[in-house]
This record gives sequence, C-alpha cells and structure tokens, in this order.
Amino acid sequence: MKILIIEDEIELLIAISNYLTKENFICELAEKFSKAYEKITIYEYDIILLDITLPDGNGLDLLKTIKKHNIKAGVIILSAKNSLDDKIVGLDQGADDYLTKPFQLSELNSRIKALLRRRNFAGSNIVTFNEISINTDSKILTISDQQLTLTKKEYDILLFLIINQNRVLTKEAIAEHLWEDNIDLTDTYDFIYTHLNNIRKKIKQAGGTDYIKTLYGMGYKFTDQ
Amino acid sequence: MKFLTKINRNYLLLFSAILIVLSFSGYFILKTIILKNTKENLISQEALIEKQIAETNRIPELKPLIEVVQVSGQPVGHLEFKDVRIFNRNENEPEDFTEYSNIIKVNDSYYLIKIREASIESEDLAISIAVTIFILLLGAFIISYIITRRLNKTIWSIFESNLKEIENFDLREHKELQLRSSNIEEFDRLNIVINNLMAKLKKDFLSLKEFTENASHEIQSPLAIASLNLEEILQLKLDEESFRKVVTAINAVKRLSALNQNLLLLTKIENNQFAASDFTSFNELIKIKIQEFDLLFKEKDLRISFISKSDFRVKMNMHLAGILLNNLMSNAVNHNINNGSITVTAEQNEIKFCNTGDANELNDETIFNRFVKGNSKSHGLGLAIVKQICESHDLEISYHKNEQHCFVIKPIFKN
Repeated sequence: MKILIIEDEIELLIAISNYLTKENFICELAEKFSKAYEKITIYEYDIILLDITLPDGNGLDLLKTIKKHNIKAGVIILSAKNSLDDKIVGLDQGADDYLTKPFQLSELNSRIKALLRRRNFAGSNIVTFNEISINTDSKILTISDQQLTLTKKEYDILLFLIINQNRVLTKEAIAEHLWEDNIDLTDTYDFIYTHLNNIRKKIKQAGGTDYIKTLYGMGYKFTDQ
Repeated sequence: MKFLTKINRNYLLLFSAILIVLSFSGYFILKTIILKNTKENLISQEALIEKQIAETNRIPELKPLIEVVQVSGQPVGHLEFKDVRIFNRNENEPEDFTEYSNIIKVNDSYYLIKIREASIESEDLAISIAVTIFILLLGAFIISYIITRRLNKTIWSIFESNLKEIENFDLREHKELQLRSSNIEEFDRLNIVINNLMAKLKKDFLSLKEFTENASHEIQSPLAIASLNLEEILQLKLDEESFRKVVTAINAVKRLSALNQNLLLLTKIENNQFAASDFTSFNELIKIKIQEFDLLFKEKDLRISFISKSDFRVKMNMHLAGILLNNLMSNAVNHNINNGSITVTAEQNEIKFCNTGDANELNDETIFNRFVKGNSKSHGLGLAIVKQICESHDLEISYHKNEQHCFVIKPIFKN
C-alpha cells in the first residue's frame, strides 16, 4: 500500500510516516504544494493524506487536481482548521474522510484501513485476528466459525482494537473514536470499561481467547503476545 | 428629549415671554403718548377759545367738553390737569374725562376755562393698538414656527437617517457604513469623523479576527506533534507511574486542543461563517443524538424521554445544529445525577431540555458566559457556543429551574 503524506509541519510528517511505515505502508512525503502536485500527477497512490494549509498553496486545490485527473487514490484531509465549512467543502469536493488535528495515530490508522476496505483495495472486507474474524460489510463477527452478536458500540470498539492491534489505546482515544463529533465528555470514561468487559465475556463464551489487555486501568491493548 | 422638541419648547417659552412684555409695554407707551397728545390738544383748544372770546366777546359753551365761567380777581396762569368723572345724562352713567382748567384774562375780564376730553377713548385706542400688536406678533410667530419646523424636518432628516444607519450597523455583517451627505458643514464633518472611526474599528476588528484564527490554527499543529509523540511514547514499555504521566499529558493536550477548537468555533459562528440555505428539523436530529448518547445515558442510569409535539424547524446549518444539540445534551448528562432523567420537548416554536441535577439554581446571567464552569474538567465553552449559535440564528435561549434545570430555545419574532 502506497501512501502520500502531504503536510507542511516536518515533525508531524515524520511522526506520521514513521508510524505508517511500522504499519507496513510505503510512505512518500511532500511538505509543499508544488512537490505534492508533482507527485500526485506522476505517481500512483492508494491513499493521500492531505493537509489543507500549505505554505505555497491550498490543499483544496490539490483535491481539485486529484479529481480532475481522475486519480483513484482515497483522500483523507488532515486539517488544523476545525472549521465545518472546510470539512463540508472538502467532503463535497470528493475527499473520502476528514481528520482534525491533533488526531491520534490509532484513529488515523483506523480511518485509513476503513477507507481501504471501503474502496476494496485490500481485495477483502474481512478483518481477522487469530480465531476472530469480522466481516465489515455485513458487520458479522465469527469466532472459530461461530457467529457472535455484538451491539453496535461493542462492534465499533472491537474493530478499532483489532485494527490497532498491539498498540496501547487510552480510554479517551476509544471514546473519541466512538463519537466523531466533539461531545463535551467531562465525566469519567468508565463506560468504556463496562463495554470492554461485555466484549470479553461474549468472546470467552464463544470459546475465544481474551486478547484485551488492561494497562494500569488507563489503557488497553489488543494483543496475543 | 429630542433636539428639535427642546429647541421648539425653548422657542415657545421665549416667544410667549416676549409677546407678553411687548404687548404690555406697547400698551403703556401708547397710553403715555396719547395722554401727552390729549394735553397738547386741550392747550391748543384753550388758545382757540381765548381767541373767540377776544374777537366775538361770546363765551363758548359745550358741556361737558367746554365750560367757560367769568370770574373776578383771580390770579392768571393757574393751569391744572386732572381726571374727573362726570355723570352723562344721555347714557345714564358716569364717564371719565381728562380735564384742563385755567384762568385767563381777555379784554380785562377773567375767565375760568375747563376743557375736557373723554379719557375712555384714549384708553380704548391704546388697548386696541396693543391687541393689534399682539395679534400681529403672534401671527408672525406661528408662521415662523411652522416654517422652521418644516425646515428642521428636512435638514434633520438626513441626520436621522444616518443615525439609524449607525444604530443598525454591525461590524460582523461585513457591510459598509452608508452615510448620506448633506450640505450642512457640521453634519458632513460628523460623517467624516464617524467614517474614519469606523474604518479604524473595522481594521482593528479584522486584524483581531485574523489573529484569533491564525493563532488558533498555529496552535493546532504543535499540539498535534505533541500528541502524536506522546502516543508513541505510550507504546514503549512503561512502568505504571510513567504510563500515568504520559496519559495525563495526552489528555491535557487534548483538553487544550478542544478548548482552542471551541474558541475558534465561537469566532466562526460570530462571523456568520456557517451559511444556512435549508431548514433543519431538530426533531430528527434529537432522535439521532439520543441514540448517539445512549451509552452515556446508561452509564448514569438516566431515563431519557423525547416528547415530540410538533416539528421544530430552523434555518440553520445541519452540523451547527448538531453542535448545538451535542452541547445541550452533554450539559444535561454531565450535570445530572445517577438515576436522574432528561426530558426533551419539541413544539412548533420551542425546544426544551430539562434535566435533574444539583438542587441549587444556576445563575442565569452568567451560565452562558465563556469559561463559566460547572466542574473543573469542562472548558466552560459549551453553553457559550449554544448561546452564540442561538443569537446568530434569531433564537433566544433561557434557563430556569423548577423541579429540574431547564433550557428553552425559542425563535425571536422580529417585527
């Protein structure tokens, strides 16, 4: 999978590219409009991460170029501007998703994977982890060929955990993933704990292994190591 | 008091005073002049009578106007004026006269002459002249009053319209201030001053706005870098203490970012950057939000009821309406008690969010202000954003507490 990251903040660019490389993506970087334009028009990518504010141009213009040249890459806008109008314009002009800075890498990963599944780039809509398998189209979860029923939120949490396997996720990151809109969550995130317990119980009852590790009561990790 | 009313009132008072003073003084001046005239008249009549006696030796008699009596041995030249009252037999009533008496010597005989003139006539004359003056002045006054009123209206109409323009002016509407020019130097000078002032205000407003936007924007990138790096540190093998510190730092960065984003959002709502072309049905959105918040309700065992009496529709950007409902719903959840309840009621011209909570009533004057917090974890902008959204969409939000804490949103009907 090839990803082009267009972002003018070098440190951000490096952090994102390091992470995505670890996730086995091939990353190319562009920190300027002109460089990004060149790369977009010459090479092919599966995913383009697009920052709107660039020193020598507007990211939305790159989006227009992408659409004009019929470039098949999926586009996720990364913007520091949390302005709804940018979001609406971006999505209207054909961006596939929109993430507001600062975002969590786990969230970015989840969005990229979701986009890839939607576009069927991976050729598969099945996410698997050992005996657990999720069909993201029908939203059916099977454990060793046994179907399991989860609530919508439980399904969302589990998918997020599996996509970000072997990564430490805070309760807040999970909660944020569940509510894209900025809900002013000021209370404790104990309900995440409740839901994870429910998921654990259901998987165990179906004969599966509990891969969810709790870290000091503040974070979670989906891992078999 | 209006400027014109003030002027007119002063004008009226001053003119009334002038009118009274002038009329009275006119009366007295005239009276004196007439009296003096009468006396001269009487003296010249005396000369005529003297002449007649000398030439014809006949004593003229015309009672009560002229009386001549021959007297003996009297000193000559004892002349005298006085007011007398004589009974008029014809009219059967007393009449006032000015009497002139003198003793003259003609052909060695002495005569006492009394000549009179009715003083009532001179009095009448003085009064009628004074009244004429009064009427003329009053007429002049009324005419000039009407003319100045008319003139003032046309002259001040430009001023009035300019004043209205300034009253209705809003910096956020990105419109130019259109002041009409008149041919009056003072007004035009005022226009110039106001235009200069406005230009400066506008410049300051724009630069402040730009600064806020740029600053907010520039803050997001470093926050993103910090957040991403902290997230990477979290992946390392950490002991509990370090883990706790990193998570705390991540959450602090998140809070800072949320605060910044909300401030930016407030600015954008203030600038009316969310144009709405369609009506948003709040009832549909409320149903969606109730589903989204489901987990949070369960967490506190809250009973949620939505009473949809009629569709509440507002011309508002759908995402903005979503933020509005998010904030109200979060507020109702965050400040609720365990096993409490939330009731949302939608009517044609009203939506109402009521929730159980703290027994104390909140201060309805400050809860909508920025950074007024119910608890230390919130950023205190939620209700400020709600209010700002309402204000920019001609909606009015109010808070009251009976059994529960209630927030009511109603449209403001403009005339």
